[in-house]
Amino acid sequence: MSRMMEFATPFSTLSTSLGQDVGWLTSLRKEASTYFKQHGLPAKKEEDWKYTSLQRLGQVVWEHTSKDSTILAADVEAVKQLDDAYHLVFIDGVYSDVYSEVASLPAGVIALPLSESLDRVEVSTHFGQQAIIDSPGLTALNIMLVSEGAVIILDDNVAIDKPIELVFINTGNTSDLATHLHNVVVLGEGSAVDIVETHIGLTDAAYFANQITEVVLAADSYLKHYVVQQASKAAFHITHLSGKQAKNSIWQTHSVALGGKLARQDLHTQLLGEAAHCVMDGLYLPRGEQHIDNHTRVDHAVPNTTSEELYKGVLDEKGRAVFNGKVVVHQDAQKTDAKQQNANLLLSRRCEIDTKPQMEIYADDVKCAHGSTVGQLDEAQLFFLRARGLTELEARNLLTYAFVSEVIDQVTIPELRQSLTTLVEKSMPAVAATT
Amino acid sequence: MKMLEIKNLHASIEGNEILRGINLTVNAGEVHAIMGPNGAGKSTLSNILAGRSEYDITQGEVLYKGENLLDFEPEERAQRGVFLAFQYPVEIPGVSNIYLLKAALNAVRKYQGLDVLDAIDFLTLVRSKMDLVQMDEEFLHRGVNEGFSGGEKKRNEILQMALLEPALAILDETDSGLDIDALKIVSEGVNALRSEDRAIVMITHYQRLLDYIVPDFVHVLADGQIVKSGDKSLALELESKGYSWVAEVAPA
Repeated sequence: MSRMMEFATPFSTLSTSLGQDVGWLTSLRKEASTYFKQHGLPAKKEEDWKYTSLQRLGQVVWEHTSKDSTILAADVEAVKQLDDAYHLVFIDGVYSDVYSEVASLPAGVIALPLSESLDRVEVSTHFGQQAIIDSPGLTALNIMLVSEGAVIILDDNVAIDKPIELVFINTGNTSDLATHLHNVVVLGEGSAVDIVETHIGLTDAAYFANQITEVVLAADSYLKHYVVQQASKAAFHITHLSGKQAKNSIWQTHSVALGGKLARQDLHTQLLGEAAHCVMDGLYLPRGEQHIDNHTRVDHAVPNTTSEELYKGVLDEKGRAVFNGKVVVHQDAQKTDAKQQNANLLLSRRCEIDTKPQMEIYADDVKCAHGSTVGQLDEAQLFFLRARGLTELEARNLLTYAFVSEVIDQVTIPELRQSLTTLVEKSMPAVAATT
Repeated sequence: MKMLEIKNLHASIEGNEILRGINLTVNAGEVHAIMGPNGAGKSTLSNILAGRSEYDITQGEVLYKGENLLDFEPEERAQRGVFLAFQYPVEIPGVSNIYLLKAALNAVRKYQGLDVLDAIDFLTLVRSKMDLVQMDEEFLHRGVNEGFSGGEKKRNEILQMALLEPALAILDETDSGLDIDALKIVSEGVNALRSEDRAIVMITHYQRLLDYIVPDFVHVLADGQIVKSGDKSLALELESKGYSWVAEVAPA
């Protein structure tokens, strides 16, 4: 047995329903449940889980029902990244009619909770298609216990006037709450939308968020996809984000990971049509005893596709991070252009990064570049700034921000860029020490 | 007024003595040139004055406006009006030049008990200083020295100096790597900053700079000591006789 059976115990007796479960979901759940009961959670023997242990997660008896999801309206307002957007709000895993604002969505756009969308053909067609049940990870658990999610569907040639923000809030009212949300995003041909995912824990409570998002981009569609992760410092925050891209589609993902005791994001795209392009940008800033793991994978499956990836990490105190980026260029994928870069700034002696950029290339006429760096703040730059009157703290902070600004500058929604700048600055020790 | 007094300064790095008893007094209003061959200790001297920490001061002291300069952190020196124009200004991608200028000016103003300038007043001030060194406004929005030519970096240093209006400016090999046009621009910038209440110390290998910024005093630094001092004619004598001449006249 390659996986630890005992991890399965706390979950294996559970079952859940999603309103009126429908046939296709019932059978998927059954399949997932069978798989999970056999395999349990992935152990560190799995290559993809080598540096991230779920042992502690497996030892907690998680609560699967929110006892009290009371929240102040002001708190909901405060955690939104955007004012000027359509909002779908989920509180402790439950969709909130009160705080969501989707009534004025333009024609051709659907944004609904999963529980109200199960009869849609887009959902039954795409749900569980990319998140493979029998793969190591938490996919089977999610499908077995999925209770809600967001569904966004754009008809062909629809461009939306404002971003859609998905807000996932943990109130901390229920201790050890586990949620298994599953989102489906389907962009019709030639459609375009900006989606912002905000994940936040309002308190220091322990919880377990196990979320999957499946994205389907039809030909010529364009999705800018932002993920802002501010889970509580005691949370297990595990997300799986995967996409399929048809020809000429563009998927830009920008992920900023600030929170979590253990945060793991798997991001995967398949470039299945010519001239499909993906951008994967990410920031991770573990400090204290946080562990943030980013696994990415790009499959170049056909000729003439392109990918650009830049992940940057700033690690402080005893923070740990894992970056594992895989680019696979399949046999027929000639003229692939793939770039991948991972850069890390270590601010303390006690932090640790495990970085593994990987390229698997099975075609012969391709342009691929990858690399990773690990370094510290530059002493000459620090001295220069101090010689101009900045305190050591200000100088360190400024250089740290300069390091991450390359990623933040790619954010094209001004309100979000501003909000991320503030969030990132707040997370820096120098600022924390001076304010 | 005595701006800078260096008294019997000895300094070493990793056990090697570089400065072996420097004595120098610079008054407000004066421009001093310190010349010397490679390895004489010129850059060590400027680094120590600016506050680099890797040197051991084994003897002597440095007074700035009567206070012990070596007790201050680099930023405290800058805030009190000491400015080093770097020989090799570093590039800082991701920090815009205008951000640096503003942060530096505000640090000094804060120390002086002045309010920070608002955006409009700041920009007006910066523009007037940029005219002085003939820099285009485009440079404000680029990363600090990022992709600048050698001459542009040095002009950027003088721009910072012009903005901060230090009481004591130390120019470390500001002429190195400059073509003749850039040298003229930089020199005009420095000359415009000469004043009764400011002292300037120029550290240079070549006499050429002194044609453009005429010093009141010239000192020759060799083997960690000032071996000869004089007026501007000393630089010319040095130029014609070469640094080997210094070794001959130096006290053993």
